[in-house]
Amino acid sequence: MTTETRPEYSSVGKRETRIEGAGKVTGGAIYAADVQVPDMLHCKLVHSPHAHARIVSIDATKALAIDGVERVIVAEDFGQAVKDGSNPAIDASNRGAALLAHKQAVFTGEPVAAVLAETPSAAEEGVEAVEVTYEVLPHVLDLEAAMEDGSPLARPPVSDIDHSEEEAHVTLDVDTEEAEGKPTNVASHVSFTRGDIEAGFAESDVIVERTWRSASMHQGYIEPHATVADFKPATGELTVWAATQGQFMVRDTIMRTLKWPETKLRVIGCELGGGFGGKMTLNSPLVAALSVIAGRPVKLVLTRAEDITAAAPAPRAMINLKTGMKKDGSLTAIEASVVYGAGAYPGAPAAVGALLGTSFYKWPNLKADGYEVLTNHVSVGAIRAPGTHNAMHAVEQNIDEMARQLDLDAGAVRLQNVSQTGDPMASGQEFTKIGLDETVTQAIEHPLWKNREAAKAESTDTKMVGVGLAIGGWLGGLQPAAAEVMLNNDGTVNAVTGVNDITGTNTSFAQILAEELNISLDQINITTGDTKTAPFAGMSAGSKTLFTVGRALREAAIDLREQMFEVAADRLEANENDLELKDNAVSVKGSPDQSLGMDRLASMTTGFGALYKPLVGSGSIAARIQAPGFTAQLVKVEVDTDTGNVELKDFAIVQDVGFAINPLSVEGQMEGGAVQGMGIGLWEEYIYDDDGKLRNAGLLDYRMPTAADVPDIESLIVEVPSEDGPYGARGVGEPSITAGGAAIANAIADAIGARVSEIPATPERVLRALGTVGDGAEAAGS
Amino acid sequence: MRRFDYYRAISVDEAIALLNEHGEGGMLLSGGTDLLVQIKEAGLAPAYVVGLSGIDELRELRSNGDGLHIGAGVLMHEVASDGTVQAQYSALCDGAGVVGSRQTRNMATVGGNVCNAAPSADTGPPLSVLDATVHVAGGGGTREVAIDDFWTGPGRTVLDSEVVTHITVPAPPANAGSFYERHTPRQIMDIAAVGTAVYVELDGDGNCSQARIALGAVAPTVVRAPAAEAALSGGPITAARAAEAGRAAAGEATPISDQRGSAEFRTHLVEVMTTRSILHAAERAQG
Amino acid sequence: MAKQIFTLNVNGRDHEVYTEPNQSLLEVVRDELRLTGAKEGCGTGDCGACTVLVDGRIVTSCLVLAPDAAGREITTIEGLADGEKLHPMQQAFIDHGSVQCGFCIPGMILSSVALLEENPAPTRDEIRRGIAGNLCRCTGYRKIVEAIESVAGS
Ligand SMILES: Cc1cc2nc3c(=O)[nH]c(=O)nc-3n(C[C@H](O)[C@H](O)[C@H](O)COP(=O)(O)OP(=O)(O)OC[C@H]3O[C@@H](n4cnc5c(N)ncnc54)[C@H](O)[C@@H]3O)c2cc1C
Ligand code: FES
Ligand code: FES
Repeated sequence: MTTETRPEYSSVGKRETRIEGAGKVTGGAIYAADVQVPDMLHCKLVHSPHAHARIVSIDATKALAIDGVERVIVAEDFGQAVKDGSNPAIDASNRGAALLAHKQAVFTGEPVAAVLAETPSAAEEGVEAVEVTYEVLPHVLDLEAAMEDGSPLARPPVSDIDHSEEEAHVTLDVDTEEAEGKPTNVASHVSFTRGDIEAGFAESDVIVERTWRSASMHQGYIEPHATVADFKPATGELTVWAATQGQFMVRDTIMRTLKWPETKLRVIGCELGGGFGGKMTLNSPLVAALSVIAGRPVKLVLTRAEDITAAAPAPRAMINLKTGMKKDGSLTAIEASVVYGAGAYPGAPAAVGALLGTSFYKWPNLKADGYEVLTNHVSVGAIRAPGTHNAMHAVEQNIDEMARQLDLDAGAVRLQNVSQTGDPMASGQEFTKIGLDETVTQAIEHPLWKNREAAKAESTDTKMVGVGLAIGGWLGGLQPAAAEVMLNNDGTVNAVTGVNDITGTNTSFAQILAEELNISLDQINITTGDTKTAPFAGMSAGSKTLFTVGRALREAAIDLREQMFEVAADRLEANENDLELKDNAVSVKGSPDQSLGMDRLASMTTGFGALYKPLVGSGSIAARIQAPGFTAQLVKVEVDTDTGNVELKDFAIVQDVGFAINPLSVEGQMEGGAVQGMGIGLWEEYIYDDDGKLRNAGLLDYRMPTAADVPDIESLIVEVPSEDGPYGARGVGEPSITAGGAAIANAIADAIGARVSEIPATPERVLRALGTVGDGAEAAGS
Repeated sequence: MRRFDYYRAISVDEAIALLNEHGEGGMLLSGGTDLLVQIKEAGLAPAYVVGLSGIDELRELRSNGDGLHIGAGVLMHEVASDGTVQAQYSALCDGAGVVGSRQTRNMATVGGNVCNAAPSADTGPPLSVLDATVHVAGGGGTREVAIDDFWTGPGRTVLDSEVVTHITVPAPPANAGSFYERHTPRQIMDIAAVGTAVYVELDGDGNCSQARIALGAVAPTVVRAPAAEAALSGGPITAARAAEAGRAAAGEATPISDQRGSAEFRTHLVEVMTTRSILHAAERAQG
Repeated sequence: MAKQIFTLNVNGRDHEVYTEPNQSLLEVVRDELRLTGAKEGCGTGDCGACTVLVDGRIVTSCLVLAPDAAGREITTIEGLADGEKLHPMQQAFIDHGSVQCGFCIPGMILSSVALLEENPAPTRDEIRRGIAGNLCRCTGYRKIVEAIESVAGS
C-alpha cells in the first residue's frame, strides 16, 4: 500500500536476490568458529553450579596434570593483560567487566575459570578437573520476592549500570534513576505520568486489571558465540575474529577493558550466524585477555548448553496493568507496573517496557513505573526490540479484554485509539511521522480478521478456533555511521562499510548505489571492512543498519557523483548542472555524443600523469530523527481442549517499513520476526528449578519453532515514508517480533473464552486457563 | 567430547569379547544419538566404547507368519517405512516414526531406544503392548527377557555386560489393532510428556477380547496399565468404555513434575490420550 | 587414548585421517579436512546445522563418531555444486531469498536435496515436516519451503 506518490526509482524498491548468496549456499562463507590460527589454544570455561556462592578457592593442580592442558586462568590473573596492571574483573559490577567471576558467582553457569588446552577435548577434561570450593549463599529467584524488603541481595550493590546493549537498539529520551539509599534488588526505576489516572478510571465504563507474565527467552541464533583472539607478543598486535553484530563495539569494549590504544587491535567481524540482539561483546574481552596472558592465539566457542545457560537471554517480565475504557471505545487511563528481571547484573530494558507499553495508544491519563530487578539468574541482554514483546503482551491482552467486555470490535477500538504523528509518548517526546494508523487499518481489513466469526464456526467439541490481533512497534535506534565509495579503473564501483551484513543489507546497499549512480548491481562490490580498514559504523542492531549506514552510503554515492561531474564538466567544457549519469557515462543532458564513459573518467584519475585526483566519495551522518516502525499481526489458532495444544493455522503480518528498499529482504525480516513471535507465544521459555538451575538448556527442551510448527506467513508491507530515512525507509528488523505473542494470546482467548496470563501459552497453561487442570488458578511460572 | 578408547566390533561375539577383555566401565555404541549426547552433555565418562554399527547381523529386519524380528541395530526409519510393520505392528510404526527428526531416524536404532531405557522412549509403549521379547547375548550365552521385565528404572535395564541382539514380536491376529501417540508441545523434535500405546483384539461380536495398554513418561519405566486393560476387556469398545479405561489409566500413572509438565497435567493427559488411543486402536482392529 | 587411522570418503575423495577416536564426523570434517560448510549449532542432534549425507541419507554429523563413517560415502555442502554450476537447490535458495545469516543453510540444503530424493513430489506439509530437523531462526521458513517447492515442481 503506497500512501503517498513517490518518485520513480530504477533500483531501490525492487526485489533483488542477495548479491553474495553463493558463499552461503556452498559452505564458503567464513564464520568465527571456522577460523583456525596456527598454534591456537582452545578455551573451555568452568561454570558455577550454584546460583549464588562465594568462591572460596580454585585449585587447578589436577587440571594442569592432564595431557594437553596448558593454563588455567582465574579472575585474579587479568591484571597481567591490562596496560596499567589494574584488573577489571575485581569487584566487577557489570557483566562486561566480569571477565570471570571474582570472589563470588551470582548465577548458575557463571564462568569462574578458563582452561586453555591444545585440543577442545583436553580443555573439557581440564574443566572437569578444576576443583572449586564454594560457600553457598542465599539466593533469590522470584521477582516479587526479590522486590520485598529484607530479601537476600542477588549481588553486592551495583555502582555503574551498563545500558550499552539496550542503547544499541533504541535511542531513548528517558532518565532512569538508579536506586539510592539502602541497597535493594531494584537496580533502576523509571516513571512516567500524564494527567490524573484516578479521574480517568472514575469515568471508565470498564476497567481491566491483571498481572501478565512473559518468560525469559534465548535470542535463538543457531550459531553459538565464538571468538578467536590472536595476540602476537613480538609486535604487540592483537587480532580478534568475533561473531558479533558490532565489530566497533567489540573493539571499544576490549580496549576499554585492557586499556590499550585502539590502534593495536583489529577486530574482524566474521559472517554472523544470527544475532537478534544477542551478539554484542559477550566473551570477546575475555578471549582477548586470555590470548594476551597466554601469548598464543585462543579460541572459545560456546557449547549450545553454555550459550543457553550463560550468554545473555532476553528478560522475563511481570506486568501489572490496569486500564479503563468508555462505552464508546475511547481510552481513559492506564496504570502500569512493569517489572523486568535483569538476572544478576543490571541491564534490563524496564524503561523501554514502561515507555512503549504506554505510548502506542492515546492514553489521556497514565502512570507507568518500570523496575529493573536483580535475581540470581543469568544476566539478560537485548533481543529484537528489547523489552517490547513483553509489554505488548500485557497491553494488547488488556485492550482486547476491555473491548470484549464492552462488546466492541477489538480492531475498531485499536484504530480509534492508536497514536498518530505528533502525539506524545509517555515520556512527552512526540512521535515523528508514523504509520500506525495505516498499519492497523490494513490489518482489520484483512480477510483473516473480517471472517473471524466464520472461522470460529469451524470449531468442534474439542477443537476450538479463534482469531487474534495485536499491534507492536519499535522506535528505532540511532547511531552515526560513515561509508566510502570508490570509482574503480574500469568504471565499476567499490564501497566499504564497517557493518556486518547478516540479513542481506549489502544487497540493499548495492541497490542504493545503483540508484544514485544509475548503474547496475553487477558493477558494484560492497566490502565489509574490519575495524582497521573500514569507516566507523554502528551495530547491525536496532533496525538501524540500513537506516543509518544506508544513508551514509547514499551520501557517499552522491559525493562520488558530484566528483565525477566535476571532472566531466572540466573535460566536456560543460556546466555541472547540465550533466547526467546514464549508461555508465557522464553526458551532457540532451546531447549524448558529449559524454565521458565512467571507465575513461576513472582512468583520468588514476593513470600515470593523470590530471585529476582519484575519486572517493565519502558519506558520514549522525541521524537525529527516529523513524518508528509499527506492525499489526493476525493469527488464527485451533486449540485442542483435551490436550491444551495450540495449532497455528494462519498468520498475517502487516508492517510499516517506510519504504522497502528490497521487498524480498524486507519480507524475510518480517517473516523471521513473526516466527520468533510465535515462539514467544507458544513455546520458548527458560525453565528453572528452585535452586536456580536451568532445566532446559538444550534445543530439544528449549523449543524454537520448527518448519512443521508454523504456518505460511502472509507479509503485507505498508509504506508511510519516514522523514529522515533513505528514500523514506524505516528500520524493519525489530517490529516484526513485537506482536506475535500477544496476538496468539488473544486468539486463544477468542477460541476458548479464557485468557492465559503467562506466555508462552504451553498446553499446560491453556488447560489451566480452561480449568481442566488445576483449581482454575493458573500455574505460576518459575 | 572427552576422550575414550574406541573399538569397533564386527560381530556380536567380538563385542562381547571386547567387553570381557576390557572390563568395567565400557559402553556400547549403536547409533550414538543417546550415548554421545550423554557423554557430551550429561557427564557420562565411559572408560572405553565398543562400536556396534559395523555388525551386520544386528541390522536384520524380517517378518514371517510367526512374527517380527528386529535386529538391535535396525534404524527407526527402516522400521517406520517397512510395509509389514505399518500394516500389522502399527503402534511400533507410530512410535518409530515420531522419533526425533529425519536425521535422527537415519541414525537411531530400536535397540538403542530400548537399551537406553528412557521412560519416554517412543518405541517403549508400542513394544510393550505388542508383547515383545528382548534377546540378549553375553559371556554366559543367550537369554530372552520379556520387554516389561527388561527395564528396571530410568536408564536402567537387566543387562549385565551383555548385548541385545534382537527383539521379536509375535504376529498379531487379523482382528487386532494397535496405536501409539505421544504428547509434545512441538509437532516434531520433542520428547514425549506422555505416551500412550493401546493394543486390542476384537472377537466376532466386536467385543474386546484382549487389551494391552502401556504408558510412557509417567513412571520410572514404561509401564502397563492393568486396571485400564481390565476396564476395557470383555465388552464393546465404546466412547464411554474407552473413557472409563482412560480414567483407570490415569489412576495408574505416577508421573513426576519436570520441564515437560507437572504431574497433574500429565495425569490428565494420560486420561484423555488413553481414551483417544483406545478408539484409534479399535478403528484399526476393525480394519 | 590411542589415536586411530582411518579413511573417510568425502565428496568423492578419500582422506586418510589420523585422530583420536572421540572426534565426531563433524569435527573431523571441519577441523582436519577444513571443510567448514557443515556447522555446529548444538552438538547434540537438535538443530541440523551439521547435517551431511552418509550413503545418500541425512545424518547429524555431530552425533556420528568419525571412525564409524569410514568406508561410507560422505557428502558435505562443499560437494554439492558441480564445479561452477550450483546444484538446483542451491540456486533456488538464492533465487527465493531463502538465505539470511546462512548458518543453517548448508544443512538445510542437504536435507532438502535428500527429501526430494526420497519423495520427489512432496506436499507443502511434507516439506515442512521433512525439514523440521533443521532449525532456522532467521527466515521464518516460508521462503525456504518455497525454494524446495520450486525445485520439486521443476
Ligand atoms: C535430536 C534427538 C531427538 C530424539 N528424539 C527422540 C524421540 O522423539 N523419541 C525417542 O524415544 N528418543 C529420541 N531420541 C533419543 C534417541 O534417538 C533414541 O533413544 C535412539 O533410539 C537411541 O538409539 P541409538 O542407536 O542412537 O542408541 P545409542 O546412543 O547408540 O545407545 C543408547 C544406549 O543403549 C545402549 N545400547 C545400544 N545398543 C545396544 C545393544 N545392542 N545392546 C545393549 N545395549 C545397547 C548404549 O550403550 C546406550 O546406553 C532423540 C535423540 C536425539 C539426539
Ligand atoms: S550441531 Fe549437530 S544437530 Fe546441531
Ligand atoms: S538463515 Fe540464519 S538460521 Fe537460517
